[in-house]
Amino acid sequence: MDFLTALMTIGLNHFLVLGLVIFGIGIMGVFLRRNALITLMSIELMLNAGNLTLLSFARAQHDMRGQALAFLVIAVAAAEAAIGLAIVVGLFRNRKSTDLDELNLLRF
Amino acid sequence: MTFDVADLQNSAPLLLLTVAGLVLMLLDAFSRSKLVGAPYQKKMPAETSEAYPLPVAGSRGYLMPVTVLLLLGILAVVAWLPGQIHGDHGVFMYRDMLVLDRFGLLVSGICIVGAILGVMTAPAFLRAHGLEMGEYYALVMFSLAGMVILVMAADLVTVFLGVEIMSLGVYVLAGMWRKSQRSAEAAMKYFLVGAFVSGLLLYGIALVYGSVGTTLLSEIRSRAPVFASRPLFYIGWMLIFVSFLFKVAAVPFHMWAPDTYDGAPTPVSGFMMTGVKAAAFAGLYRLFAVTLGDSQNALQAYTGWVHAAYGIAILTMTLGNLAALHQESIKRMLAYSSIAHAGYLLIGLIAMAVVGDSARGPLLFYLAAYTVTVVGAMGVVGWLSRDLRGGERLTLDDWAGMGQRHPAGALAMTIFLLSLGGFPPTAGFFGKFYLFRVALEKPSLLPLVLIGIANSLISVYYYLRVITAMYFRAPAPSSEPASEPLSSTALSVGVLIAALLVLGLGLMPEWLANLCAAAN
Repeated sequence: MDFLTALMTIGLNHFLVLGLVIFGIGIMGVFLRRNALITLMSIELMLNAGNLTLLSFARAQHDMRGQALAFLVIAVAAAEAAIGLAIVVGLFRNRKSTDLDELNLLRF
Repeated sequence: MTFDVADLQNSAPLLLLTVAGLVLMLLDAFSRSKLVGAPYQKKMPAETSEAYPLPVAGSRGYLMPVTVLLLLGILAVVAWLPGQIHGDHGVFMYRDMLVLDRFGLLVSGICIVGAILGVMTAPAFLRAHGLEMGEYYALVMFSLAGMVILVMAADLVTVFLGVEIMSLGVYVLAGMWRKSQRSAEAAMKYFLVGAFVSGLLLYGIALVYGSVGTTLLSEIRSRAPVFASRPLFYIGWMLIFVSFLFKVAAVPFHMWAPDTYDGAPTPVSGFMMTGVKAAAFAGLYRLFAVTLGDSQNALQAYTGWVHAAYGIAILTMTLGNLAALHQESIKRMLAYSSIAHAGYLLIGLIAMAVVGDSARGPLLFYLAAYTVTVVGAMGVVGWLSRDLRGGERLTLDDWAGMGQRHPAGALAMTIFLLSLGGFPPTAGFFGKFYLFRVALEKPSLLPLVLIGIANSLISVYYYLRVITAMYFRAPAPSSEPASEPLSSTALSVGVLIAALLVLGLGLMPEWLANLCAAAN
């Protein structure tokens, strides 16, 4: 019963584990999915996992630095998404596909 | 919260670069938009044997001199700022987010000199391939601003921001050749790897922040011995280390580099190989050699990054050189050679941790010599490889007989290749000489230096292969029209300055070596 109450009380570790799980999903997505757009979404997941971890640590330590960094990361992630989508559009115009396995012009 | 006005003066290079980028964007927006000439037509004249005329300098021809002047002004500010540093420790700015010290200023100066030479060689290439856009200059400026943030970073927050601002500009530059499938592919690969790496970097920073409770590098350094045994701290630093190894293209995190350097427009490749690499090495220096390094620090034994770097340096030098051996494309050969050079630079980083501060000078000298040489070499590649029908002619067969067809370009290329291979009297020779000499001060680095020397010997083969092709091989008999070198004063002057710098540093290395050694 004690174990269950400990499990039910949401604390720092819950947030950290959630962050780790989201980070893992992001990494798996980058390595397993072959569509450029889904890879982009997986990268966003990784950044958000980093943000969640930062924020939970900042809250646990009552420190504002982590919160400030999370704000900056959100801005950077938005810029990165814009540029990433532009590159995907450029690629699609060139070859009518966003499949990453077809990126094979540049080889040994 | 206080704001110190002196911060504005001390961070002047960064602020000026940002403002200059904005000014260039505005100038571009208010230029007449008409761009004339065959490369701007919708369709390339695919199967004609006639050369299309090179368009005259369009309404954006003046942006290049303006950019060069702005960069020269900022370089003057960078050269003036060391006088404002009193004492040995550098000046902290913006609530300890950035630090102004001689090391940061010297690396900023290296990046800016590389960018000046790159910008001088770029417009002729861009115009010939229908890419003359004002955004190029603005993006170079913004990217440089990111590099300056990274090399001045004194906090994990600014490290992250610097890496990102630097990379965002370069992603766009790599894909700016929109009609080229190769450029689009290069940009996509670079972007995916870069964005993935920023995810790793952020997660690593979050873990380090969680375990130590601060993002300030100086505080992390003082608290590190206590926290070194925490797994979160260890994993966080490992993630940060891996993400920087991706940025400098060290084996086994290099697979994006040859494709990206090969596919991006040639002047942009030169910028990526030099500025991005120099700034990333400065970041590695600040994070690892300074924050974690120091042989007295008990931490180093635990984190073991030196041992990891040892193995990675060997892998990077050896695999980079072996892969470069059989490349037929000169641009791709230079891409692999830039991977190999990241390995030599890692020797300098390891020497920083093992030998101590005396290794800083050689590391900086190597960065400077490498930057000038590679920017020059990529300038010549863009210069001589223009295909009359659009695109580039980069294979050794295309370059056969270049010594007769274009003596000046071939001579400059020879100087740069000899410098990359480490022949005296060039800058590259003294870069390697200083680096290996300082590494030899500790016997534990002897195997690393021996492997480095063996690798330099291997690399001589593929550098000399280009030189023999240029001077001692007749051009292949073919019905196809030969490549037609670009003719541009700015390009020739840029390459000439780079060549003079390479020879000058080879004949009189002391002044820069002294400057580097004093850059604490």
